[in-house]
Amino acid sequence: MNGMQWMASAMQAARAQLETATHNVANVSSDGYRRATARLELTSHGLVATEAHTFEQGAIRHTGRPLDFALLGPGEFRAAGAPTRNGAFVTDRAGFLTDDRGRRIAGLRGPIAFDAHTTVESDGAVRSNGRIVNRFALPAGTRLQSGALETSNVDAIGETLEILNAQRAFETAQKVLVAIDDTRQKAVNDVVRLK
Amino acid sequence: MYAAASGMAAQQTNLEIIADNLANADVAGFKGAAASFADVDAGGTLGLGTAAIGRHRILDQGKLMKSGGPFDVAIDGPGFFRVEKNGATAYTRAGEFTRSADGKLRNADGWALHGVRIPSDALAANVERDGRVTVTGSTAKVRTIGRIELSSFAAPEALHPLGATMFARSDASGAPRTFTPGDGRSVVAFGMLEKSNVSIVESMMQILTAQRAYEANAKGVQAADEMMRIANNLHRS
Repeated sequence: MNGMQWMASAMQAARAQLETATHNVANVSSDGYRRATARLELTSHGLVATEAHTFEQGAIRHTGRPLDFALLGPGEFRAAGAPTRNGAFVTDRAGFLTDDRGRRIAGLRGPIAFDAHTTVESDGAVRSNGRIVNRFALPAGTRLQSGALETSNVDAIGETLEILNAQRAFETAQKVLVAIDDTRQKAVNDVVRLK
Repeated sequence: MYAAASGMAAQQTNLEIIADNLANADVAGFKGAAASFADVDAGGTLGLGTAAIGRHRILDQGKLMKSGGPFDVAIDGPGFFRVEKNGATAYTRAGEFTRSADGKLRNADGWALHGVRIPSDALAANVERDGRVTVTGSTAKVRTIGRIELSSFAAPEALHPLGATMFARSDASGAPRTFTPGDGRSVVAFGMLEKSNVSIVESMMQILTAQRAYEANAKGVQAADEMMRIANNLHRS
């Protein structure tokens, strides 16, 4: 690889960094969202940004709404097979708990039914009139809090810095690229002058 | 760039909902709403930003307050009053009724409470916690003239809103089930109104948060734009 190719890869990596950061900022209000990070790596074909998701717990926001659930610890809710950590649920016309897209939330004994007499305990047990009728599938050690949501773990200030960083890195790479181009121009046009 | 723009649009939606909540913070029986957002993923590594995936009513109980109205009722617990007008049926938790000429209890928009008609000789009326409506006639004898029944839904959040405090059943909400108040369920409080469940302080805080998030997203759009400008200038700078 030559200098120009190196700088082009650096510009592309900065661009990817920016995309990750803007995606994070866009999701600063998405409950249960886990921010992504762009890790820069030097490889034989230049600077490469790879995206990875983080697993830090988001802050717990108390809502008091009985259909809101937050996971304290690892794990996910299963909405028709699709994992999500967003626990803002509603009920469908048959009385089953669903996510906002209408997908039913699976418990260990099938879809979880929910009405005014249903209570959910921190170990995931779903009780109706005092009797355990179903259970959220939780990994060992994970607790469930009802009446609360896990907020996005995006830190808007940190991501703004990341955006500025990416922008400057892009600019620097561009400057170097232009400098390399200038030297080449001189080499081609000035070193040997054909009379 | 589009991810950041989607974030700006999301915060705009968010602000609209908060503004609507605030505008109705003083309306008895009003239930606030909240938007729910999720990240959009095309399946590849690149995220496409965010999208509003739902807007749901928060049906939490509002505080009950003593009111001056002669026929004000409030529900303590889940459920809705069933009201009727011109053959149409709607559901509401706003219990600000007045007695109209035909003896029906109507709210300001003319919706009449189902199942109750106050006889013309009634001097005073009362509603028990279990929904029974009693009146005192000219003979000072108390008699029961009807009972307020409440309606519940499997998916009350999917009810179709008709204005700020009225709802109609929808396909998604399921059919209404009527139940009588009392017996460990919701009770009816007479001479009370349910305040809106919007907290003004909390809404103000949400506005500040949404504003900051909007600005951060705008920064993202700016940065992406700037990068494109730099890339476009590659050949002559």
